[in-house]
Amino acid sequence: MNKKLSEMKYGEEGIVKNIEEDLRIKVSGIGIRIGKKLKMVTKQPIKGPVVVVVDKSTTSLGLGVADKIIVEVKK
Amino acid sequence: MKVLLMGHPNVGKSVLFNRLTGTNVTVSNYPGTTVDYTKGYMRLENKEVEVIDVPGTFSLEPKDKAEEVAVKMLKENRDAVVVCIIDSTKVERGLYLTLQIIEEGYPVVISSNMWDVAKDKNIQIDVEKLEQILGVPVVPTIAISGEGIKELVSKIKKAKSVEIETIVKKVGGET
Amino acid sequence: MELTVDKRWDLIDKISKQTVKFKKYKSTLKEVIGELTVKPLTGIPIAIAVLYGFWSVFSSFAGFFTDGFLVKLFDEHWLPWIQGAFPGGLHNWFYNLMVDVGHIQNGALVPSNSCFESFGALTSGLFVPFGVVLPAIFIFYLMMAVLEDVGYLPRLAVLVDTVLHKIGLHGYAIVPTILGFGCNVPAVTATRILETRKQRFLMMTLLGIFIPCGAQLGIMQEVIPEYMGLIILYLLFGYFVTGFILNKVFPGKTPEILIDVPPYQKPLTRNVMTKVWVRLSGFLKIAVPFVILGCLIVGVMYLTGTMDWLANLFGPIFTHWFGVPKETVGPLVAAFMRKDLAVAQLSAIEMTKYQMVTSVVLVSIYFPCLATFAMILKEGGKELLGALAVLVASTFIYGGLIHLIWILLGVA
Ligand SMILES: Nc1nc2c(ncn2[C@@H]2O[C@H](COP(=O)(O)OP(=O)(O)OP(=O)(O)O)[C@@H](O)[C@H]2O)c(=O)[nH]1
Ligand SMILES: [Mg+2]
Repeated sequence: MNKKLSEMKYGEEGIVKNIEEDLRIKVSGIGIRIGKKLKMVTKQPIKGPVVVVVDKSTTSLGLGVADKIIVEVKK
Repeated sequence: MKVLLMGHPNVGKSVLFNRLTGTNVTVSNYPGTTVDYTKGYMRLENKEVEVIDVPGTFSLEPKDKAEEVAVKMLKENRDAVVVCIIDSTKVERGLYLTLQIIEEGYPVVISSNMWDVAKDKNIQIDVEKLEQILGVPVVPTIAISGEGIKELVSKIKKAKSVEIETIVKKVGGET
Repeated sequence: MELTVDKRWDLIDKISKQTVKFKKYKSTLKEVIGELTVKPLTGIPIAIAVLYGFWSVFSSFAGFFTDGFLVKLFDEHWLPWIQGAFPGGLHNWFYNLMVDVGHIQNGALVPSNSCFESFGALTSGLFVPFGVVLPAIFIFYLMMAVLEDVGYLPRLAVLVDTVLHKIGLHGYAIVPTILGFGCNVPAVTATRILETRKQRFLMMTLLGIFIPCGAQLGIMQEVIPEYMGLIILYLLFGYFVTGFILNKVFPGKTPEILIDVPPYQKPLTRNVMTKVWVRLSGFLKIAVPFVILGCLIVGVMYLTGTMDWLANLFGPIFTHWFGVPKETVGPLVAAFMRKDLAVAQLSAIEMTKYQMVTSVVLVSIYFPCLATFAMILKEGGKELLGALAVLVASTFIYGGLIHLIWILLGVA
């Protein structure tokens, strides 16, 4: 099932399927690329950033960015 | 000869700089500690060599003022040997910047820093293979304890520039 | 030759497949704590606890050496000794500048009996930096270094991101802000980690106006500990309100936060010590000469009558608009040099608790110290002009507003 990174639940894992074109270079800097496996750690309330683990490293990105990343989650 | 330390933010450039030059630039555990460059000197085979610590940058396309400083220092020191410092737990990202610097034609040595953290996380890196593919020296280091620094220094003069095509061919790809 | 972005990542994927393996491992306690401190439900209470803890340690330790030891040393030994040993007396201008201006009691000029009142270069000029500020910033810098080295700041940044977006910044602006509580000078340089010009301008302006530095906090803790909370509250309130307004007024977008959250790490004793030492010696080299210079300049202005002239000139604004004694003009002049000196000077002026709060807030916001001023100039001349405009406006509006609050509360 595909969903936005911002919609993932706590602890959920998934594989990055698509990233909006103009963001690709920017988020690749923090290790997020198409095909990468990532795990949601937490979301901050009231439109706060999300925190994810990619390749065993923790990183955080604003909700606006997380909205533009599509992730395929298992099940 | 000049030595320029380049790498992502928070990979240990400033710790390494302090070790090499005996200075005390600020070291903290968050990205973006260093926002300006610092010059220092180290001895290499009885010669004084200038070493430059710069802010961390993700790529050669700066996205903030700190990164601008780093890229500017790289461009201003065409004759420098670049020590690319990679966080061993984030090799892929580190390689992006390293490849960009290699493509620009700089002689490069790679310090695979935070080796201890990678070990803790059970991340295994085949250093020899990496060296063979990239064609530049790769030295595992733990900057905070000093492990691997001697070897890194000894490899600085072995740094050489490589053609990116050669690297592409070695992994079986085409340009 | 150069590769395209996609080709480069392709190449990296191929290289890493052959060289890097992520093996299984169990998460460690460090990582569990790492997650707890960034999850809102646990993270926010922890953040409050950390900041509160920071605060209580600072406020209880800062006065420890000063009150227990240094005040005695300066007031009971150094001051009387130098008052006697220094040639001249209260009627000699050079003596006034270096040792003691004295004060009027029952119509007679009498010697001061504390280093807060004497205001000589060799008395207050030494007591303020060494007797009061140094111990305070020592404990402050020590705790700050530990906080920086542990790796807590990026987590705090994630937690406060939403709030800071409201004022045109993002979570990472917490780094220059926290550094600013230590000293505004490196904080201004640290604004370079913010992406847009708008963000940098906002941050520099807010730092210069509303964030009191460690030296100022230290002296406030010594002379007016009971008003401290209220003053900080006023300043933080000003920080947010001004940020909110500026964000609306100035064009430009605020980018989203995008930062790595490094693993926690045990602080390295040597690194912490080095950092504290580097920062303290920076203080000794820059601040001490400025404090002494400040004492001299203020002294000369009093002796030549310039200060009285200024006080009479601006008196009406002070008494009517801000509701503080016109003598406050002296500390405001000193505040150009050093805020700590200005607060010390304020403490010697007679006024009500509420006037004291207003005037300390005024001293804090009305002008960044010279060193910070120079640093903002270095980071951008246009930014400096903008910051100054905001500063003049906020000083008048905010100072007046606080006065109004006191009037409404019936305490002015
Ligand atoms: N465990 C471990 N920690 C390290 C190592 N090298 C550096 N560190 C820590 O990593 C953090 C970052 O080090 P810095 O030298 O400030 O990093 P930097 O690359 O200069 O970072 P920026 O100035 O922000 O670009 C510090 O807390 C160091 O103590 C290492 O080899 N192992
Ligand atoms: Mg650094």
